[in-house]
Amino acid sequence: MASVSDAELKAMTQEERVKALGMTTEQLTGKSLYMEFDPDALERFEYPWAPVVDFNKRTEVDCDGKTTTEVNESIRALMAEGYGTIVLQNPRGMHSLGVGILSKLNLIVEGSTGYFAVGLIDGPNVRITGRVGWSCGENMMSGTVMIEKNAGSTFGAAIRGGDLVCRGSVGSRTGIDMKGGTIIVGGDTGALSGFMMQRGRMVVCGNAGKNLGDSMYDGTIYVGGEIRSCGVDAVEAELTQLDKDWLTRKLTQYGMMPEKGVDHFTKIVAGKQLWNYDNLEPNEKKLIL
Amino acid sequence: MADGSPTKKPLDRDVNRIGDSFIFPPRVMDDIHIKAELGRYRMRGFSLFKKIPHWDDLTFLPGTLTRFVIEGYREKCETKTVIGPRAKTPIELDIPVYVTGMSFGALSYEAKTALARGATMAGTATCSGEGGMIPDERRYSSKWFYQCIQSRYGFNPNHLVLADGCEFFIGQGCKVGLGGHLMGQKVTDQVAEMRSLPAGIDQRSPARHPDWLGPDDLALKIQEIREATDWQIPIQLKLGAARVYDDVRMAVKCDPDSIYIDGMEGGTGAGPHLATEDTGVPGMAAIRQARKAIDDLGKRGEISLVYAGGIRNGADVAKAIALGADAIALGHSVMMALNCNKDIPEANYPEEIGAEPGYCYHCHTGRCPVGVATQDPALRERLDPDEAAERVYNFLHTLTIEAQLFARACGKTHLHSLEPEDLAALTMEASAMAGVPLAGTNHTVGIEDYHHL
Repeated sequence: MASVSDAELKAMTQEERVKALGMTTEQLTGKSLYMEFDPDALERFEYPWAPVVDFNKRTEVDCDGKTTTEVNESIRALMAEGYGTIVLQNPRGMHSLGVGILSKLNLIVEGSTGYFAVGLIDGPNVRITGRVGWSCGENMMSGTVMIEKNAGSTFGAAIRGGDLVCRGSVGSRTGIDMKGGTIIVGGDTGALSGFMMQRGRMVVCGNAGKNLGDSMYDGTIYVGGEIRSCGVDAVEAELTQLDKDWLTRKLTQYGMMPEKGVDHFTKIVAGKQLWNYDNLEPNEKKLIL
Repeated sequence: MADGSPTKKPLDRDVNRIGDSFIFPPRVMDDIHIKAELGRYRMRGFSLFKKIPHWDDLTFLPGTLTRFVIEGYREKCETKTVIGPRAKTPIELDIPVYVTGMSFGALSYEAKTALARGATMAGTATCSGEGGMIPDERRYSSKWFYQCIQSRYGFNPNHLVLADGCEFFIGQGCKVGLGGHLMGQKVTDQVAEMRSLPAGIDQRSPARHPDWLGPDDLALKIQEIREATDWQIPIQLKLGAARVYDDVRMAVKCDPDSIYIDGMEGGTGAGPHLATEDTGVPGMAAIRQARKAIDDLGKRGEISLVYAGGIRNGADVAKAIALGADAIALGHSVMMALNCNKDIPEANYPEEIGAEPGYCYHCHTGRCPVGVATQDPALRERLDPDEAAERVYNFLHTLTIEAQLFARACGKTHLHSLEPEDLAALTMEASAMAGVPLAGTNHTVGIEDYHHL
């Protein structure tokens, strides 16, 4: 493989850069790395295993008396038959409901769920009419998830894309290790929300607990109410017109626009003081840099 | 002397010097001087430097007249290894060793793919490590673990469904209780993009998982991964060796298919020097305690025990298996098979890294002279992936035939039939930790009758 300088790499497009660095574009069951890197890629549904579903084809699944595995297997089987809208009835706080859905689907859960509801998803639009337990929507890649009532802790842990919305309040550590996408909380959020956040945006219309945004690498947190305290290396930044426009658009989209608008929101970003805390010792720098 | 009287050679030491400090030798003083300037802990790669009780402190007791030996080079000695036998699709390996998780980012693309190809040639598995999947590693690996690590860097459910096994990284032996580190020199645009990080930052991964806190939550998290993978693949928990007996009992209650224990001999691409020296417990103690915990809960044969840390040769492999491991994972030694610390013609170690070949521990700088632990395109050219894959295969194959040699000598026709009874300890410490008798005695330190362990 030919050597590539840093300057040459910077001048390249993402696709060229991945190729130049030796990452092949060879298809691996339908997906290559540079496709995944493309931030403009809107369609994430072109996987060979993704079933073609029709949103107008609707059915119900009664979870009563079924195990989580049986319900999840039912969802997959119905999607394979082309059902694009599936309603889960009587979920009764089941854990891991609707996890691992990797294609388009309208999933409506009539009731409340336990831990890890709709985690590890890539594409579906989900509406849960009740409450959810811990780690709802964890590691979601794309799609939308709407929770009508309250959510437990670690809401949207490590999400990488999509919109995760809770109309009520959520527990602590919301958006921990968040890597992209948007989390919107209509009420309050608990302590350590946005801990080690990397990318994406979190909107809290109510109050935020202690140590908000602790050790965040990057990303943005907007808080409409009071912030109990900011964490290490989380600092307040100016709310620009761009921020206000984005907040207005997003909150209007989900019918969560506060009566007093968005001008009162506080914006929290990374102070970036910890970005290079561990870096090389002076003698190493002499040798290497 | 000219007059013929006998020559008296002067002493080459200073007789007026009272002594040298054992507690504060010059190297410790240098370390204090540097930290007094630096104001923080010092980072490095490699594994621990200090001496601990380890595999050299054990010896085999092969068959003579009391045991029937197996013909060393001819008769069959099975090496097939299964990880996660309860899973719908267990991981079946031809040999008892596989390549452990080392991230793309810590290692170069060439190193990762060479490991994958070498492992596949040898009939064994690899693991993604932190930072997500690189497609070519998956493509070249016939069996591949996808690691679910605290940071979830690059974790993608679309890649999870391609995996043959899912490993939860809960800790590692060389820095138990700490998250991963990747210095800014290695966080290139590409690595940063895979991990959703700003390029060039010093990445310090979290030590806790984001979506579960304790064993009760972990049991539910395991269920979630099983649901997402249709209950097909084995779920493995990787623990740094600390309070091993209690930790493994708790891990068993979480109901995984496999438990991986990383001894304090394990290595790292970057970590605080003191953490590598002063956390964890040695492998021989860890395996024994983990085995006992699994057996006490009646899960032998259902939940596999994988060990990693300080494995250098087939004797170490066989000793770890004899103590109770079902499979062995390798990190450091397969990196050496790639060329780590080798004096290759293209590299000038003293000028490039400030150390002689054989003494390099500078993986954290991203300036690996042999192109293994770097992202620099010019350095990466020093590693030919084709030749490197061949070396990895040769090394894995050699470990296996060496381990078979000991198994046959102990009268075993299956490598996994080795048992603690085949070992003796050369030191009191090794006897106490490994729970095997001191060589030449029936005395196991701390146990009146080792047969009842």
